[in-house]
Amino acid sequence: MEAKSVGKKYIPEISQKEVEELKNSIKTTSTKIMAEYIGRMKKTWNNRPEAMQYFDEIANFFGRREKEIREAKEEGKKVIGYTCMFAPIELILAAEAIPVRVSSGWYDAAKLGNRIVPVEVCPVIRSTIGVKMIDLSPYLELSDALITTLTCDGMTKLSEILGDYKPVWTICPPRIKDSEQSMAFWKEELKTLKDNIEKLTGTKITSKKLRSAIELMHKAAKAFRKLQDVRKGNPVIMGRDAMLVNQTSMWDDIERWTRKTEELCSELEKRAQEKAWACPLDTPRVMITGTPIIWPDNWKLPNLIEEANPQGVIVVDELCSGDRFLYDPVGVDEWNMDDMFNAVAERYLLPSTCPCFTSEDGNENRVNWLVSKVKEFRVDGVIYYVVRGCMLYAMEYMRIKKALDQLNVPVYYLDTDYTREDTGQIKTRVEAFLEMLKSRVEI
Amino acid sequence: MITAGIDMGVQNVKVVILKHGEILARSLTPSGFEPGKAAEKAFKEALKKAKISSDEVEHVTATGVGVEMAPRADSKVSMIAADAKAGVYLYSSARTVIDVGAEEARVIKCDEKGNVLDFALNERCAAGSGAFIEAMARALEVKVEDMGALSLNANGTVSISATCVIFGESDVVSLIHKQEPKHEIARAIYDALAERIISMIHRVGLNPDVVLVGGVAKDVGFAAALKRKLETEVLIPENPEFAGALGAALYAMEKVGEMQK
Repeated sequence: MEAKSVGKKYIPEISQKEVEELKNSIKTTSTKIMAEYIGRMKKTWNNRPEAMQYFDEIANFFGRREKEIREAKEEGKKVIGYTCMFAPIELILAAEAIPVRVSSGWYDAAKLGNRIVPVEVCPVIRSTIGVKMIDLSPYLELSDALITTLTCDGMTKLSEILGDYKPVWTICPPRIKDSEQSMAFWKEELKTLKDNIEKLTGTKITSKKLRSAIELMHKAAKAFRKLQDVRKGNPVIMGRDAMLVNQTSMWDDIERWTRKTEELCSELEKRAQEKAWACPLDTPRVMITGTPIIWPDNWKLPNLIEEANPQGVIVVDELCSGDRFLYDPVGVDEWNMDDMFNAVAERYLLPSTCPCFTSEDGNENRVNWLVSKVKEFRVDGVIYYVVRGCMLYAMEYMRIKKALDQLNVPVYYLDTDYTREDTGQIKTRVEAFLEMLKSRVEI
Repeated sequence: MITAGIDMGVQNVKVVILKHGEILARSLTPSGFEPGKAAEKAFKEALKKAKISSDEVEHVTATGVGVEMAPRADSKVSMIAADAKAGVYLYSSARTVIDVGAEEARVIKCDEKGNVLDFALNERCAAGSGAFIEAMARALEVKVEDMGALSLNANGTVSISATCVIFGESDVVSLIHKQEPKHEIARAIYDALAERIISMIHRVGLNPDVVLVGGVAKDVGFAAALKRKLETEVLIPENPEFAGALGAALYAMEKVGEMQK
């Protein structure tokens, strides 16, 4: 029998027995952890609304949504996975395929990734590799093809490694975005991608289909913005819960997600009128920025902030796995194919705050976004979250700190890894930061 | 008013008892495998020195990595807030407090009341802490308490990197093989640690006066290296290892004050 690793670029031999064992053990832990985390979220926010139950259900990686996607596939639908938020969701939806984000938050899988790449590599990458090695993520397994983006070094090489398992379509965003040649290049990238999507699905992306996909995402963005607006006021939702809602949009049926988010927002608006706050009004209002924080396993920091003593409440984040994901709608002038396609291309490049970009003024989009959100959401302090090996975010820290210093908003640089062992250490740091914010709030 | 602070450190438990804001007694016990018991012992010892009973202590505040194991804690405070309080109590002009302990280093920017304005901690690695000095002294085969004085005779002819304890150790070993003098290697070790601390200082900004506390502040080699590199006066109190416990006791005083309001 021919070894499976023959002809593979990266993947070492791993026995089916080991795959099964590891998969079962991590899946068991993960199922327990998902339930535990949701339980803890309920405990912190004791009058958590009914409407959250839907998102708890969709948040389960091995539950209802997995089953739905599996059934849709049996009926001939295609599933397209993506690693970064550069993947144009509208093009996937227009081809009647199901988009799912596949970058991993599983701690235990990161160790497996160490067999292929060094431990210095960012754990998001190591974990995504590990997850694929043991077929842990149902969404990654169900994907017929993957859209990967050449943003950081980790994502670049991850594309190659995932290519050992699945068809991978790589898109390359130009690092300097504000020039004609960059935009022309990016549009070519997306044209090739569009061809690939059409070929896989056998569905031609017509202007009618693209329009309805754009309109669908407009509605999702509107629901998301409504949730954002609610969070600008006094806290009627805890940050962890809002983050969970955001995350589920990355694998849920987006139409249903929009409806459910609208329902949640109506409930929250009512609570705001009734002054039924989710936590005391003097709770420090925290923003998280940095490396993407990914459900289910990597919920360490949100848990610590909102369970700390003194407690904090996350009112906004600048994470591509969070408030950045649905923030920007596609701005269409004319509903013809060319205009719509250009608008999609622009939406996925120009407003991006990813630290892979630079310009004469550095990554100014990120600085501006952060500064305006700090003001809009009345942020008391920012936690700059970086995992080991996440070079671009780590290197941009000083730039962001200087901008926040000017607003007199404290920022704390928190570095960690995909591990549960440093929870105690990080708790000390987070609590000291919140204590400091709290004393400022009181003044 | 009598208050006490207990600092549940990685290596030692420290206790400070204050009466009307003056230090009445202090005691120190190695944390060992049972920090809770060690703390009980240290607390009793401090009470004995102060010639008072536990009931006379109005409020006890605990801090430190093992804070959950403190024998008595009417309140808790973070090590960062405790350091800032102690720094300003010891020197009213203090605006930057550096605490280098056994496994953690902290740089805190504070205001004239000892409120924390900003802080930085060593990254997830022991290279910026006392553990680094201990590991290096082992590699150099000198007693850790002798290494500081030894380093003062050096001119700074060699250097090592301190990205991590393990790499630092292999640097030291290769210097030994090159037959570099021991005192020069010792100085290189302190310079490397000081460099780590300075990069943390720059993250919060250098605001004089600078106060150095924590167990490692007693190491003359490290203090000299830090002063050399910072080019500013570094104030070091007597008994710097008690700063955390002192800060906690000061916090306890504030707590009593709040309750009386």
